[in-house]
This record gives sequence, C-alpha cells and structure tokens, in this order.
Amino acid sequence: MVRKILVSIIILTLFIGASQAQEIEKGDVFIQNANVITITDGVKENTDVWVKDGIIHQIGNQLQVPRDVPVIDASGKFLMPGIIDAHSHVALGAINEASSPITAEVKMEDVIDPFDIGIYRALAGGTTISHAMHGSANAIGGQNITLKHRYGTFNPGELVMEEAPRTIKFALGENPTRVHGRGKNLQPRSRMGVEAVIRNGFEEALQYKETWEAWNKVKDQKNNRQVPPTFNSRLETLLDILDGEIIIHCHSYRADEIYMLIQVCQDYGIDKIVFSHVNEGFKVAPELAKYTMGASVFSDWWAYKFEVYYSTAYNAAILTKNGVITSINSDSAELIRHLYHEAAKTQRYGGLSDEEALALITINPARQLGIDQWVGSIEEGKQADLVLFDKHPLSIYAIPQMTWVDGIKYFDREEDKTDQRLKVDPEETLEPMFLHADHINCMSDVDFYFTGFGRNLFEHNH
Amino acid sequence: MNFKDLLIPISVSCLFLFILVTQPLFGQSDRNGERRLGSSYVITNTTLIPSPGEILQNQHILFEEGIITAVGKDIPLPAEAQEINGDSLFVYAGFIDMANKTGVVEPTLPEKPEGFDPSKPMPEIAGIHPHFNVTEYYQQSNPHDKAWRKLGFTLAQKLPLGKGMLPGTSALVIYGQEGKNNLIAEHQSIYFKFSTVGGVYPNTNLGVMATWRDLIQNARLYKKHQEMYAANRNISRLEKKPVLEALIPVINGDMPVLLEISDELDIRRALKMKDENQFRLILTGINEGDKLIPLLKEKEVGAVLTLNLPEDPSSEIPSGEKSEDFENRMDRTREAYKQSLALAGKYEVAGIPFALTTKHLPRGDFFKNLQLMVENGLSKEGALAALTVNAAKLLGIDDRTGTISEGKMANLLIMTDTLFTEGATIQMVVSDGYVFDYSEKPGKVSKGETTWEYEAETQGGKSTGTWKINQSEGKWTGTITYEDPQGQGMKTSSIEDAVITEEKMQFSFTVSVGSDKLDVEVSGNLSGRKFTGDMKIIGYGTFPVKAVKKDKPEKSNG
Repeated sequence: MVRKILVSIIILTLFIGASQAQEIEKGDVFIQNANVITITDGVKENTDVWVKDGIIHQIGNQLQVPRDVPVIDASGKFLMPGIIDAHSHVALGAINEASSPITAEVKMEDVIDPFDIGIYRALAGGTTISHAMHGSANAIGGQNITLKHRYGTFNPGELVMEEAPRTIKFALGENPTRVHGRGKNLQPRSRMGVEAVIRNGFEEALQYKETWEAWNKVKDQKNNRQVPPTFNSRLETLLDILDGEIIIHCHSYRADEIYMLIQVCQDYGIDKIVFSHVNEGFKVAPELAKYTMGASVFSDWWAYKFEVYYSTAYNAAILTKNGVITSINSDSAELIRHLYHEAAKTQRYGGLSDEEALALITINPARQLGIDQWVGSIEEGKQADLVLFDKHPLSIYAIPQMTWVDGIKYFDREEDKTDQRLKVDPEETLEPMFLHADHINCMSDVDFYFTGFGRNLFEHNH
Repeated sequence: MNFKDLLIPISVSCLFLFILVTQPLFGQSDRNGERRLGSSYVITNTTLIPSPGEILQNQHILFEEGIITAVGKDIPLPAEAQEINGDSLFVYAGFIDMANKTGVVEPTLPEKPEGFDPSKPMPEIAGIHPHFNVTEYYQQSNPHDKAWRKLGFTLAQKLPLGKGMLPGTSALVIYGQEGKNNLIAEHQSIYFKFSTVGGVYPNTNLGVMATWRDLIQNARLYKKHQEMYAANRNISRLEKKPVLEALIPVINGDMPVLLEISDELDIRRALKMKDENQFRLILTGINEGDKLIPLLKEKEVGAVLTLNLPEDPSSEIPSGEKSEDFENRMDRTREAYKQSLALAGKYEVAGIPFALTTKHLPRGDFFKNLQLMVENGLSKEGALAALTVNAAKLLGIDDRTGTISEGKMANLLIMTDTLFTEGATIQMVVSDGYVFDYSEKPGKVSKGETTWEYEAETQGGKSTGTWKINQSEGKWTGTITYEDPQGQGMKTSSIEDAVITEEKMQFSFTVSVGSDKLDVEVSGNLSGRKFTGDMKIIGYGTFPVKAVKKDKPEKSNG
C-alpha cells in the first residue's frame, strides 16, 4: 500500500508533461543562397542552410542540393532564427488563477488553446516560440509553458516544447497587492507583504518537506504511529523551485522590489530567476547581471500605471551594455507579430549593434527559457526554427516571408489565406468584427471578485 | 425533497389533482398510469424490436409486477393478464437518458463566514461536494420527467446540481408510477465538470485541474490512513473528510467519473486527468472533436453525445450584398454545422457504443435532432442503441433494461409505426410495468381539439355559443353550438370545409329552421387566442363575429 502511494505520486509527477507526448512532425528543407543571420556566428552571405528531419543539418556555401527536399530560393533575402518571445499569453484558455496569492500548483499546460489564431499571426511575424505565462495577479503564480508555434494541430500537447525546462510566474508590486490586498483584504497589501508571502511560501514548503521526510522514514517500520501527511502540489512546486528545477520569471517594475527578490533568492539559494518588464532594471543592471538569468523588457512601454512612470527606452541597451542577458518580449498578441521592430528600437535608443539587437529576440530569450542549446541561433545541430525576411529584419520595411518550426513551414506569405482559422463555430453566421479587441494580457481572468473596485481604475495591461 | 422517504402527502395530493384535472380530459387514455386493474399485462400479436436491428413479427409480451416474464409467439397467456392489442403496433425498449437534471434542485450552500478568505474556502463553498447525493435534491414529482416519459424515456441518470467542479453523485431513477419510490441506484457515478463557483479558489480551469490532482492524491492518503487505523487503534484517529471519502470509490475503480465537457479541449483535459490518475471515465455532453474518436476508443472511455445540436447557421444569414470572404466563411460555418450533425455517425462507424443525453435539449427538438443525426450518417439501429442498450451498458444495468427479453424490467415504448417513420406516434409507454397510455382514440376528445367561445352581432341581437375544432389526419372537423332560431335552446351543427392557418380561420355550417336550411360561412383573422371576422348568412346578410380560444377543451360526452 505504502509503495502504491509512492508509486502513484511518482506517476503523477512523471505523467505531467509526458502524458500528451506526441510524435512531433519534423521537416526537410533546403534554403539556398540566403543572407544567414546566425546570431552567434555573424552574418553569412550567399549561404545555404540544409534542414534535415527538423534539425539544421548543414550550413555552407554552394552546398550540393539534396534530392527530394524542397528548395527555397532565398537570394537577396535574410534568414534568421525564429523569434522567441519570453513573455506571452497567446494560445491560452485562461491566464490568471487569481483566487490565491500563491498558486504555484496550477499549470498553463492544462489550458493551452491550439485554435488561437494568435499563433498563426505570431508566425506571420516570425515568432516561432512563445513562453505562455500565467498572469501577474498573484505573488507566486502558476507554472508557465514554452510553446512551439506548430499551428494546425488540434492537440494542445503538440504545441509544447518538450525539451524546455519548467518555469513559473512570480509577480511583484501593484498587481498582486491590488488583487489580494485591496481587493480581498488579504496579504499582500504592500510590497513588504509581497516579500512576506513569498518567504512564507518557501518556509512552509521547507516544513512540508520535513513532514514528508519524517513520514517516509517511518512509514514502513513496524509499530509506526505516524499517520500519512497531506499532499500539497503547491508546496511541492515551491520545493522544486528551491531545488533549482524551475526557472522563476518574475513580473516586476521597480528597482527596490527587483533587488528585494534577488535577496530573497540569495537567501534561499535560488539562482534561476529572470525578471520580466523590469522597467527600472537600468538602476540595478550590475546586480541583474551578477545574480540572475537576465531581464526581459518592453522596448518602450511605460506610464500605464504609477509603478511604471520611471522608465526609459534605453533600458534594453543599458542592461545589455552592463552584461545582463536581455530580451524584448511582447506580453501582447499584437506586439508578438513584430518583435523585430521592437528590437530595432534599441538601435535608435542606445545604439546596439545588429547582432546585439537581434539577440534580444532570439538567443537571449532562449537562454532565459533554458532552451538555448536547441534554438535561438542558426547553428548546425540546432532545431530548424527559421524565418525568412525580404529585407534585413531590423529594417522598418522588412516583412517576414516564410516561417519554419522544426523544418516544417507553418507560414508562407504567398499562401496566406484570408481565413486561417483552424476551427469554426457551427452556429456562427459571421464572426463579429471588433475595431478594438481586448488584448489578452497579464491581468486577464482577474474577476471583479478579485479587484474590489471598478474596472475603470484597472484598464492598464501589464 | 428526499424522495427516498416518499413524501406521501405531496404524492397523494398530486394524484388527487390529476384525477380531478387530467382524467376527464382524455377519455380512455391513461397518461398517468393510475387506473391499474392489476399488474399483469400482455401485449399481443405485436411487432417487437427486442434490440436494435432485430425485428420479430406476431409476438406476445407478457409482463407482471414490472418484469417481462415471457416473450414469444406461443407463450401461455394468463387469464388475469390485461390485453393490449399490439396488432399494428411496434414495441421497443424504453429510452434511457444519461446526465439528466430535470427535477433536481440546487443544494443550499453554507454562508460565507465573517472575514471569509476566498483563497481557502471550505470545499462546499468552492463547489467541491462529491459527497452530496442527488437523491436528496431530486423531486420525483416534477412535470419534466413526465413530459420526457411521453417521448419514450423510461429511465434516467439524474445529476446533482452545483456550480462547482464536483457537485455530487448521480442516481438512476425510473420514470414509473408516482407515489412509488422509483430509485434504481444511487452513488452511481461521481459527477465532474469544468466549472467553478466564482470568486473563490479554484476559479478557472487552471485551479480545477490542480485541485483534482491534489484531491486524488489525498484520497489515496486518506484511504491509507483509514486502513492503518482499522488495523491499529494505537494511532491518531482519522478525521472524517467527506470529500476525500467520496473519492475513494473512484481511486478504487469502483465508481466511474461522469465528466461533463463543453468542447474538445475539455475532452483533452479529461483524458489527461485519466492518464495521470487511472479511473473509469465517462464523458458526457460530447459535441465535437472527431479527431479524438480513436483516442477515446483506445482508452476505453465511455461516450455520451449531446442531443442538443447547434442551430442551423443557414437560417440566420443577414440580408444584403455578400463579399466573397463572407461566402467563404459561411461555407466553413455550414461545414462545421454538418460536422456537428455527423459526429454521432462517426462514433458509430468507429465502433464506440455511445449513449445520448438530453441535457440542455428543448423537448420539442428531441425527435428532430435524432432524425438529423440519422440523416447525417448515424444508422437507425445506432440511434436506437444509443437511447437504449448502449446507455444501459454504460450505466451497468444492461442485465435489467435496455433490451426486451425475459427477466428484464418492463420498460417499453409502443409506437404506431417504426421509430423513424414519418407520422409514427407514441401509443403507450410502459415504465416499471406501469402502462402510460398516450393513444388518441377516435371519437374521443383529441389532443388537438380547441374550444372557442364566440359572440355574433345579428339583427336579432347577440348570439353566443361555442366552436369545437379538431384536427385528425390533416383534416379539420368540429361542431358549432348556437341558440335555436326557433327558441328551442341550444343546437349543434357540424363544421364543414374548415381551413385554418396560423393567421386565418374559415368554415361553414348549416342551420335548420323548420324545413329550411340556412347556409352560414364564417371567416376572419386569428391573432393569438382571438378571432375576429364575419358570419355570412347566405341570403340574409353579414354580421361581425368575435371568438376567444378557451384554455382547456371541455369534457366530451362521447
């Protein structure tokens, strides 16, 4: 019996993620004569890239064209690695489980929506991977999921990038204090409260660990008088963070709270943390460089609420120059379609080189998601997530022409149809058209119950 | 509310009411199965469809005390058995409804305490009450079940109500005689749905999935503690946790989870739940997701499709000039609609013995939607199986009902023709051995009869009387009463040449005055329950006439 329980708990942990494991479709393609922006090894002119079984097989000049492989004439065009968005909410059926200040147990993997047209639109903007995140309502939110944009599948599991490590959402500042503190009169009500919630969570997890260790020690002994403890996947997840199995991606704005969480992580021996938004990151750039896996920022979004007034479009450049692994994210189903524009802004504001600017949307987010050994640059042996632009992607005139994931072409501007929906409502005569669509964002699914006051005070996005 | 305790006063008063109100209206028909002279019946010389695809002629079916005791051509027919002449009738097994909620009321949940913390609600407030038993909330005497019985349903799986993810356990009830305890089985499955109470944890599918995982793990630990305590009193006692206790039969594989879904992503979630924590799974409310059919078959998941089909999108196309994009989108919508209708047929082809649920289905759409499934790929046998034997198997009662053979419950549907023949009507429904007669005898007041009270302004002053109008076999017939012009009280004439549409009504009749005959024509407009028009007495003149439709037809003297 005891074994049964253990086994079932092990099965529980094993099955998560593995249960919907599928045979992912992989493709072959030969892209000829492109300007290949490798990101990690400069720009290679008039170069061929041969993709075999979803993997970049060979990069070189005048390679022999393999048989039975589709050839793409990329003369004069620019091939770069698929864009990676380290902070997105595309393809999710729910964003916030805003009902508790800590919801580490919930998994975005459970609510993937493969029918979201946003996936296709992201592909049309060259984005091949997005980090589908829990929202920012809770101090410790849910477990995120890294998605590959394999648009066309009906199986949510097939969008999951199986190789990607686990990540979790944390959130500091106004959002969690508003939702729980002002909305429900719970902790956290202030920035101090946010820190306390996180520290208490870790402490509780450590006590939980002790309880289980004590139980596991005696449960098989004769004359054991202890009774089984309660299982708690919330605390199990917090323990996994403490064990370094999960990368924290923390919604944050102000320098003080960023530094606070760095200290909390130091206290608990956590080194896998990425800060998201980080509008005041430029103030603590050396600390971010030294203690974290970097910062994922907006190019130029700020002033949508009090805590984001002190901001600058130079943020990404300052962070980069200070050695922080920096990425630019979308946090928006619209912005995800032109992250290359967002990256280009760092050349105007901060004068980053082409390579530095493009790293912000490729290899750097890959490093922050723990997937840089598979994606984020064009290298032999890496997964063939690629995008072909007609002009240099940092040009304002550049338009993505084709996008591949695992060597399969999921977007081709030539073949783009008016209606790219995967699924159609059988009762719908014509989908209503909205001039203004509500963007899915960090605070989606945060009900009135959890805000405590009118939405007019609540119309910011991040 | 607890029908296990048989609320005698309510039942008796209802019975009384029905005798008062209903009985006189329907002549020999016995819609409520009350006038039972004995419990032994025989349906003679009938066409029997004992199970889908089988058809037997000239059969006798004997049932006694609610059990079918003999079926065949040459069976002894006891003298005391009342005969139902089955000649020209067709006998099917009574229908079984899955995941039905009619007659069930929502439980009253505890008040939120002062200083309530929505992140840690007590389970009941969070909609987590798998220990609730639907029988505590089921009102056996409700008009819906009777109306469904009239459509052929004899047995239903009743679902508990609740806004959250685990409303309770389902039960099986027979739509039998009122006043009897008609419970067949309780704690029959755990009902799960992807929904939340709102405002507390869990609030979205994210929290629902996580909560389920923890509940299952903790039910296992609770069971472990239970076993330890049973073997050894020297440990701390088991604090009773009704929620976990209710889930033990699920982890033991003794009780299925009836999981309601609303789209194919819900099905994916349900399959994930099953993969993570093996349990018996029956999905209900299936409305889409043909791609998942092989997976459901492989994983041996029970399937209950919804009869609540989408509305035809072609019926609501806006007027005006359409662009090519519009037409293309419309085509895709129509294709999706067709796909919805074809889903049942695909399940059949795949060899999944699915059942059907009427949940959310307007009663009037039942046969129409069944027919749509048949027109779009489901075989007639498949449709019948879904409503009978497949449901019985999913519910684990196929040894008792779902087909017609000796030893089965006397749950029968008796029709004037085969199930999908146009114009076929339900003659009788036998449920638990009680006969509910829905037949319309000729000469008796029919279901379609309407009674009108009219008032005409003639030269001789006001003239009043009634019209009774019937429709039988597509023809309108009826009678009119009027004051005898010769002062001999009220007279009656038959209505001729009646034409009635939604907006207009006209007919003629003849009045005898001595040896003369007056021909009278009535015509005018209908608006709701009101008629306004003219009465033309040929040769005499035209007079205005008004009439109002009465609620109930009067008792017929015939």
